[in-house]
Amino acid sequence: MTHMPANSSAPAQMRGLSEEWRAALTGSVASISLTFLVVVAVGWFWVGPKFLSFGNISIIGTFAIVPLVVGAFAGFALLAGVVDLSIGSMVGFSSAVFALLLSFGWDPASAAAVTLLLCLLFGGINALAIVGFGAEPIAATLGMLVALRGISWVLLGSQGSIFAFNIDLFNLVSTTVFGLPLFFLLAVVLTLVAAIIVSKTRLGRHVQAVGGDDKAADRAGISVKKVRVAALLLSSFGAGLGGIIYAAQLGSAARATGFGLEFQVYAALMIGGYSILRGGVGNPLGGALGLLAVAGVSNILDLQAISPYYVNIIVGLLLLAAVLLDRLRGGDAFE
Amino acid sequence: MSVDHALDTAPAAAPLKVRFGGFGNALLLLGIWLALIIATSLYRPDFLSHQTLLAVTFTMAVVGVLAIGQGIVAMSGGFIDLSQPANLIMSSLVAVRLTEAGLPLPLVIVGAILAGMVWGAVNATIIVFARLNPVIVTLATNFIGLAALFLVFQLAEVPIGSAIYQFGRASIFGLPAIFWPMLALVLVVGYLVPRTRYGRRMIAVGGNRTAAKARGISLRVTRYATFMVAGGFVGFAAVLFAATSGPFNPGSANALQLNIIASVILAGISLSGGRGNFWMLLLSVGFLSTLPTSLVFFGLSSDTQSIFQGFILVIAVAIDGWRARKATP
Repeated sequence: MTHMPANSSAPAQMRGLSEEWRAALTGSVASISLTFLVVVAVGWFWVGPKFLSFGNISIIGTFAIVPLVVGAFAGFALLAGVVDLSIGSMVGFSSAVFALLLSFGWDPASAAAVTLLLCLLFGGINALAIVGFGAEPIAATLGMLVALRGISWVLLGSQGSIFAFNIDLFNLVSTTVFGLPLFFLLAVVLTLVAAIIVSKTRLGRHVQAVGGDDKAADRAGISVKKVRVAALLLSSFGAGLGGIIYAAQLGSAARATGFGLEFQVYAALMIGGYSILRGGVGNPLGGALGLLAVAGVSNILDLQAISPYYVNIIVGLLLLAAVLLDRLRGGDAFE
Repeated sequence: MSVDHALDTAPAAAPLKVRFGGFGNALLLLGIWLALIIATSLYRPDFLSHQTLLAVTFTMAVVGVLAIGQGIVAMSGGFIDLSQPANLIMSSLVAVRLTEAGLPLPLVIVGAILAGMVWGAVNATIIVFARLNPVIVTLATNFIGLAALFLVFQLAEVPIGSAIYQFGRASIFGLPAIFWPMLALVLVVGYLVPRTRYGRRMIAVGGNRTAAKARGISLRVTRYATFMVAGGFVGFAAVLFAATSGPFNPGSANALQLNIIASVILAGISLSGGRGNFWMLLLSVGFLSTLPTSLVFFGLSSDTQSIFQGFILVIAVAIDGWRARKATP
């Protein structure tokens, strides 16, 4: 990771600015922006103007809320070089706990607080295994994925679902502002905040440094362990939030909630420029565009009444293309 | 990933300690497995029955053969093959279609193995020529493969009464017929890998690819060989799967994936490559296949099985990481 030296003289700043522009035009955010625009153009020409109508964007936005929230937080773990595969079943676990507490008659605020604390606890176990013992992140969080799925299914009981409809919560998550879902706009704001943290603050540079080269970061006096623990906790917190939003949207939690979400989110994040194997690359903006591009593709196929399985084929091909592009741009080559 | 100095630091000098360490692992795993069996039979004496033995060995068969494939990929430094579910279903579909076409069982087996090897070759081609990491490549091919399979078929089943159907229900020496090929394969692979040139090359590439390349071993050929051989094992596992599963759909193999990865790691086959003994798979697969039956005898729902499996994997990986950290200066 090379950083612009803090220099106050005007020419240097100009040069820094143009370099930043060049990086922006050739970097990962540029290619995902292009992919995103291609998806929008295909939607416009194929589906017609209704693809970009407020109604349709609302539909895409409503489905994109949870992936955007989960992706914004999970991106920190990817940046720090510790992929967290357990997010999918963490979402399911969170929705199950939240729905269960609501069905006991708890008020939503304390139910949400307890749910998030439990998610942080399991995120802490991930952190203990990975940072404390040096476990391989993919394998350790794969174990956590299965364990949490088991716990959620036990919580959901023999029925396989918990009904917990709360009219106030439902109204809250269904609120629209300027014709768009409020929570979708909040997820966009969250993405922007995360992008600013990553690219403009010391904390963000530390996370990137740890993911890029942990030994160099350690020599530079950054606590690699603290950053990675924090990143894993953030990732489980984001998944916890996602599960609560799902439970509020659906009015229930079920076995299928969050199932397979981790692969969908990470495929989209990698299309957006993150890497699950190499920290220090990617940006929340690119990640969000990746998620929206995938959401756009599935919306187009949906409107054209084409089998949803084609979405996975397209996502898989886009994923290969994106990692190949990343490698050609100077990413790690395998062997 | 710090694999590049393992071979340089640990050749010939420390074989005794390594061998003893491996032996200790085997005893530990055997001890845990026996403890599980003893605890369950103290709680429910009827656990020790021929019925339980049948259930455990039946589960071991498919998982064991798939674990050999996964172990080959891991040991050779390919880290992990996430596309095993798609390959298994694809090869099973080939087995079903060939049986429906009236081919005899030996040809069906050859066909399924070839199908699995072709799948492995596709993975290897992308990995070698695009120079992309196997984890991401196999994640993507699994995505694409399963979706494509869903477009091709919804439900498939070997014809009832066919040779492969009867093979899946036959028993030899009081155990399921499908158990014996798995046992034989684990024993043979475990014997051959450290004792043949090809096996040692595979371990060398997994331990330290730079040093292996410097000694004239082609990484490309190794990648093709390991992924195709591993794919062939998935193809053979597909025969056992198709013979025993009854009607299956493209999603039917997803639940196997974690069990296999857990078996490989518990067996001490390092995901960072170059380390491990295939014989240990018998213990890890045996233990993980006994667990579900034990939990049923303890009166726990089958959902709790995932909780135990998941946390066992987390603990195993943590121990694996702890050892690797102590081993590297």
